[in-house]
Parts: sequence; structure tokens; C-alpha cells
Amino acid sequence: MPQRSFIVDKKLLRALHKIVGRDNVLTESADVLLYSYDSSTAVGTPEAVVFPGSTEEVAKLVKLCAQRGLPFVPRGAGTNLSGGSVPLRGGLVIALSRLNRVLEVDKPNQVAVVQPGVVNLDFQKMLGSYGLQFCPDPASQKVSTLGGNIAENAGGPHCLKYGVTVNHVLGLTAVLPSGEVRRFGSAVADTPGYDLVGALIGSEGTLGVVTEMVLKLRPLPEDAQIVLAVFETLEASGEAVSRIISAGMLPAALEIMDRQTIAAVEASFPSGLPLDVEAVLLIELDGLKESLDRQAEQCAQICRELKARSVQIGRTQAERDKLWTARKSAFGATARLSPAMLVNDATVPRTKLPEVLRKIQEIERRHGVRIAKVFHAGDGNLHSNILYDRNDPHDFERAEAATAEIFQVCVEAGGTLTGEHGVGAEKVKFMHLLYSPADLEAQRKLKLVFDPQGLANPGKILPEPVGAAEAIR
Amino acid sequence: MTGLADRLRDLEEAVGPSNLLTATEAVSQYRLDGQQPLAIATPGTPEEVGAVLRRAADSGLSVLLRGAGRHLHIGAPPGPIGLIVSLARLSRILDFDHENLTITAQAGATLASLQQAAAQRTQMLPLDQPGGDDATIGGIAATNLSGPLRSRYGPPRDLIIGLRVALSDGAVVKMGGKTVKNVAGYELTKLFVGSWGTLGALCEVTVRLTPLPEMKAMLAAALPAERAREAARELLSSRLEVACLTICDTLALGRMRLHLPITADAGTQVLLAGLMGDRAAVERQAADLKRMLPTAALLTGEPSDAAWRAIRECAYPRDAADVVARAGVPLAESAQLLQLAARLQGWWALAQVGDGIVHIGASSGASPDAIVAGLRELRRAAEAVGGYAVIESAPVDLKRSLGVWSASANTDLMRRLKDSYDPRGTLGCGRYLPGL
Repeated sequence: MPQRSFIVDKKLLRALHKIVGRDNVLTESADVLLYSYDSSTAVGTPEAVVFPGSTEEVAKLVKLCAQRGLPFVPRGAGTNLSGGSVPLRGGLVIALSRLNRVLEVDKPNQVAVVQPGVVNLDFQKMLGSYGLQFCPDPASQKVSTLGGNIAENAGGPHCLKYGVTVNHVLGLTAVLPSGEVRRFGSAVADTPGYDLVGALIGSEGTLGVVTEMVLKLRPLPEDAQIVLAVFETLEASGEAVSRIISAGMLPAALEIMDRQTIAAVEASFPSGLPLDVEAVLLIELDGLKESLDRQAEQCAQICRELKARSVQIGRTQAERDKLWTARKSAFGATARLSPAMLVNDATVPRTKLPEVLRKIQEIERRHGVRIAKVFHAGDGNLHSNILYDRNDPHDFERAEAATAEIFQVCVEAGGTLTGEHGVGAEKVKFMHLLYSPADLEAQRKLKLVFDPQGLANPGKILPEPVGAAEAIR
Repeated sequence: MTGLADRLRDLEEAVGPSNLLTATEAVSQYRLDGQQPLAIATPGTPEEVGAVLRRAADSGLSVLLRGAGRHLHIGAPPGPIGLIVSLARLSRILDFDHENLTITAQAGATLASLQQAAAQRTQMLPLDQPGGDDATIGGIAATNLSGPLRSRYGPPRDLIIGLRVALSDGAVVKMGGKTVKNVAGYELTKLFVGSWGTLGALCEVTVRLTPLPEMKAMLAAALPAERAREAARELLSSRLEVACLTICDTLALGRMRLHLPITADAGTQVLLAGLMGDRAAVERQAADLKRMLPTAALLTGEPSDAAWRAIRECAYPRDAADVVARAGVPLAESAQLLQLAARLQGWWALAQVGDGIVHIGASSGASPDAIVAGLRELRRAAEAVGGYAVIESAPVDLKRSLGVWSASANTDLMRRLKDSYDPRGTLGCGRYLPGL
């Protein structure tokens, strides 16, 4: 970390006060420190944190940054898990928590217009009263914001059937790094021209700041059922997933937790799961009542054939909520197992899951680390949470080495570095595993069109061009 | 710049003499809106595509990419065409991973060949753009055109999760992959799908598959316009999983040559609700729909398949003079455009009301003046509610005078992207938005 002075120059401070008001600027070191990290290992301290109340204020702030060559980082709830919202090169953190209104829910057109600071779950609850839903529901939805969901192209457990965030966004208002306000897309399908909305989604705040979005909604499914099966081996649970897909079913969610994760969950939020099994598989089916009974029975039968120790079916809302509880608390519970946790969410084609899991278990043994595995088996999204002690440098080294090997294994299996957490700061150094210099150059072209000055969330997503990276090594 | 003969020799070197067509007679068959290309190149690998594009760029030849040519009628009249690069030889299926529900194929593979492969594992590609299954997967990716299945499964842009693209500097680059979730880097796949061959040549395409439904059915009802609109609205907000929801007028019905066991008097509209899924779900929904629309007829088996096909192909032009436009509007506004068609008289209209996509066309025999006035009015009406109208098929002078594409916002950014990926303006021959 380079040394930097925390004394904000007075001219800048006056300008910030003028734009958002004195109450909406933080510069005290104790205050800005709170915005210098997230749950990743990345750190970086901003000069100031500002809380704009409108698109116009965001535009003025970004323009100010452009004029002064000051980096800026938009921030929602900071739950991305990859260092995406950490201001690596200082500058301004533009916190979007005040832009937290749902501006419109248009039921006939099945769209909503919202500001980025709206919390995902609050929005879902509101939509529920219209009989509608916004499909993306990442596990962080209790706190994560819709703006963050868009910046990360958030996933969640339901992507096999319903796709990821980019499939559910029609339009965006964004402040470009020049400070200019632009509207992209609309409530209409396939507007002629390039899909700039698609390009902006998942760009982690490196192409601009989204200040308003038009989201595509869907009616809630008529009904849902959960099948929960407990297996003696991780392989058997994976095989069950394969057979369910091969049988022509498309469950809304297919989630697997391993022994470490089950133990963690039971220690913190006891829900009666046995501790001596290797895997729990949770299958959520949704749709029309008529097909659910048959499908649930078919799934249960597949699990029994694979010698599941027990199979439960949850038909009522209360039963379903109970069966989901364990899965939803997995992340928090795992975090209690050790002082720190190195999170990754490499994703592989579902077919490769058994092979990749075997290799991860081998990595676990070889490095003597503990890895709690919980994954969205339906879409091949693996969360290998590596437990370590931050105060033990050797422990951290081991965790880092294991992470690098997991990435290698997943990329070799035809997968990708990250399914939903984003590249952020932590995975920049692994991008070359997945992409050739020419591939990265093609991505850099997009960045340069939007942000030629390189001020929007610098240091994220793309490694420095080849020459520069060599020089650093 | 070197002479034409040198430039062609250079291209021949890249693909081999048997894969570069230069004989005037042969080349003339590829004429488009009066423009005749100098040559047709048929490279055999993505790297060869890259090499051809780079050589074309180096020698200042403009390039039009071609799959099966099923959608070449859509687009502005081209400027001079130097070279047509046909991707037809790139026709292999590279990876069919049925357990992962994905298929990866080279651009020139036809949709039919991919459907056939998928069907062997009782899966399908939920793609059904007008123009039939002879269309290539590369063409579908480049145009992002969709059909009735879209309401249920989304447009090609949602279903295509990976690409390998040859850029005009010769580089062949990977975008996305074969996982539904993938946030490692920018979503370039979204940018390149639907870029109409103006940013790069899509050489390999990965598509998400879905289980082949156990049963398909179609419910048809003739209703007064107002009632059709209400029923559609009710269905859209219901929890039924109607897979396609179409409203068309009786002229469209005639165009489709669709004979339904219902009486559709002039002035009524026909609501077509497609159902697919397991038998229990389809039967239950059909029963619900029958209760809601007592006069409706339920089609199953071949008559249902025929209806699905007819809806899909309605918008495909019957010949070069056929005038067809596609408008995109907010969902609830599609009914308005149907009304507009009725008011104009002599225009057929078919609306995918679940997507806000409306196709409108002039009946044969309409006067040129009436056609121009009608298209103008359609575009005005669509743009007034925040939508657009694309003139997909029309005689070339009409395309020239009205403009094929509606004006779009942010074209400055699009042009900068174009300049960045295709700095010498090699690709597209000016058929997409101005400057792209």
C-alpha cells in the first residue's frame, strides 16, 4: 500500500459539500476507514465517501473526478466478496445508499423502475404484493442492493432455470466516467443497435455508475416443492443432479452442501441435519401444481435409487422455508468456523462437477487446509470456502496456494474463475488462466471506449496489458 | 493500394484457391440490392476467417458475412461489397454436453442439424426465428432474431452464453463460455450477439439447451379486439405458463394459410396461446383456458405443430417485394399496433404480446403510396410509446427512402465501439445503423 495523506484538500472538500451537502460527505479517517475494505482481502482507503441523492449529483461528482483525475468507486452494500467495491487507488467512494426508491412498478408491462440502493429482498417483498418477482435472488439478498446485483451480474440459486441478472434488465441510466448522463435500453425488446445494457451489466463499476434501472418482472410461480436428500457420498449427490437433468426436469434450484458446511450450519443454526453424512442435496421445483407432485416424486425416487439415507419432501410454505433455512445460513455459519475465510466461486460445466470435486478434495489434503464446499449444483457454481487464520501468515499462504490450484482445475475443466462474485481485485491476477492476451485485449477495448482516463474503479477486472504485467513480475 | 488481382491472390492464399470464388457468373448470384461482390471466400477454420478478414482490411475491401443467407433481406441497402465471407464450411458441432444443457457449434451449422443432435437426448435449442431451421446458428447469433418461443425462453442473446469471434485484425478471441453463470470479465457475448456482423465474425457459438417438452398444444379463439386484449393481459399476469401468446388479425391468418376450427369473422382477432410442458401441466392449462375462453378450440398433435410453425413463419417475406416490418413496443402497447393495422386497411399484423414484438405487413396489391404512408405511421406510433420499427423486407428504393432501422440513442458510443473492434470499417458494408 502506498502511503497517502488522509488530509483532503480544501478545494475538493468544498466542491463535494457544494454538490451533495455537508452531511453527505465523510472525510474523517475513522469514517472513511469503514469504506476501505469488504469481506475480501483487498484494502484501499478513499479520500472521501459521498452519498449523492440524485442522478444529477452523481453526474456532478463524476465530472469533478474527471476534471481532477481522481478515481471513483461506486458502492452498494459491499457484499460482492471479491474486493469489487474497495477503492484500491483511493479517490472517491460514491455510496448509493440514498438512492433507494422504487420509482415505478408497471404491472401490465411487467417492468419496474428502481434506484440502485434498493435492497433486493425489500424489492422482492414489495413485488410479491403484485404477484410478481424479480428473478435474480442472490444469497446476499437480505442486504445486497439491486445496483450491486447489476454491477456484479449477480447469480443466486435459481440461474439454471431463470438465468442471471443480465437476462432480467431492460434499461439503465448511467453516469459515464466523463460525467455525462445516458439512458441505455428501454422497456422495449431488441432496440436496434449494440446491446450496451448487456455490456454494462457485470462491469463492476468500471464503466460508469448506474443510477436507475428498468427491470423485467415475472409472475410468481403458482407453487413450489422442495426435496431434501441426505447422501453418504458427495459423488452420489452429484450423480442425482445428473440424473434429474437427464430425466428432462429443470428444477428451479439444485443445491449441495458438503460435510464441513453441514457441520457449520448445525453448529450455528441447528436444523436437524445428520452430521455423519457427506452431502445434502436440496432440490426446488416450481411451476404448476399438476406437474410438481409427479416431479417431486420422480426426484425423490432418483435419490432413493442412489441410496440416499433419507429423502424429505416439503410441500407447504412452512415446510419449504424450514428446508431452505440450512442452505441459506450456510455462508454465515461457515464464516464462524475460523477467523477468516478465503472465498471463491469458480464455476464449471455441471458434467465436470464430480471430477472437479475430487480434485478439490485432493488439493485440500495436499495443502492441509479445510475447505467448506457449498454449491449451486444446477449451474456448476462452486463455492469452495477456504478456512484460515489471518494472523498466521503460513496459513494464509496455504489458502492462497489452494485457491490458485482450484482456479487452475476449474479452468482446465472448461469452467470459469467466477460465477457470480465478480473478478474484483482478488481475481485479476488469475484472468490470464482463462483468457489469452488477445481475449483480454478485446475486453480492454470496451473499457477504453467508456473510460479512457481509467478513473472508474481502477485496478479491477482487467490485468495491466502484458508488457506492464511482465515489468511488475 | 495494390491492384485487384493482387488483392484476390492474397485472399486466395488465405483460404486456398478452391475456396475463393471470383468467376463473374458465380459471383453474380450473390448480388444484393444491386451490389455485386468481387469475390466469395469460404474459409474452413476460425483462424482462416481471421486471416481473410485481416487481408480484406489490409487491402481496403469491405466484407459482408454470410451464413445460409436466410436473413440477408434485413438491412440497409449496402455500399460496395468487396468480399462476401461465407461461414458455411464451418459447420461442425464441437461439443454437445447434454448433462450441462449446452451445445457448441461452428457458425455455419444449421439450426436443423443442432436440433437433430439435441433431440437424441430429448433436448432442444429454444430458438425459432422466422426463416426456418436451414438458418445457421451463426446467423441467428448475429441477428438475435426470435420467434414465438421467446416469451418462454428469452431471445438468442439470453440463450447464447459463449462465442469465439474473429476480429478484422485477424485475432480470434473467446467470450463467455459454457456455464450459465460467468462473470469473469466483461459481457462481450451480449455486445456481439445481435451486432449484425459489424463487429466481428462469430465463428463458434455456445447455446443453452432445454428439455424437449412432453407435449405441445395450441389454443385458438376468435374474439372481438377488446376481448382479445383483455384476455392477453389476464394471461400475462396469471401464473399459467403460456409458452407463446400471439394475437393476429384475419389477414395474418390468411397469410399463414392456417385453417383453424374456429369462425374468425372479419374484424375479429385471433388469440393463439401455445402450451408446452408435461402432459399434466398442458392439460390443466388447456382446461383453465377453455373456461376463460369458452369458444376456443384446442389443437394438439399435427394441427398444433402446424399452428406453431405458421406463427413462426408469418413474418418471413414471401418474396423480395413483400413488405414486412417489425416493431418493438412495451408489452401493453402491442394491441395498439394491431388496431393501427386494422385502421390502415389491407395490412396484416401479428403480435407476440408477451414480448411486445409486432410484425406488420402490406397485403400484396397495396399501392406504393399506401405502403409508404403505412410504414411511416407504424414507425411514428411505435416511437411515440418508446419503441421502434424496423423495415425488414421491402423493395430497395423504399428501404432507401424510409430507412430500415429506427433512429437509436447512444450511436456515438456504438460508433466508438465499432471503431475500436473494426477500426478500418471492414465489416458490414453499411447495412446496420449509420456508421456501424
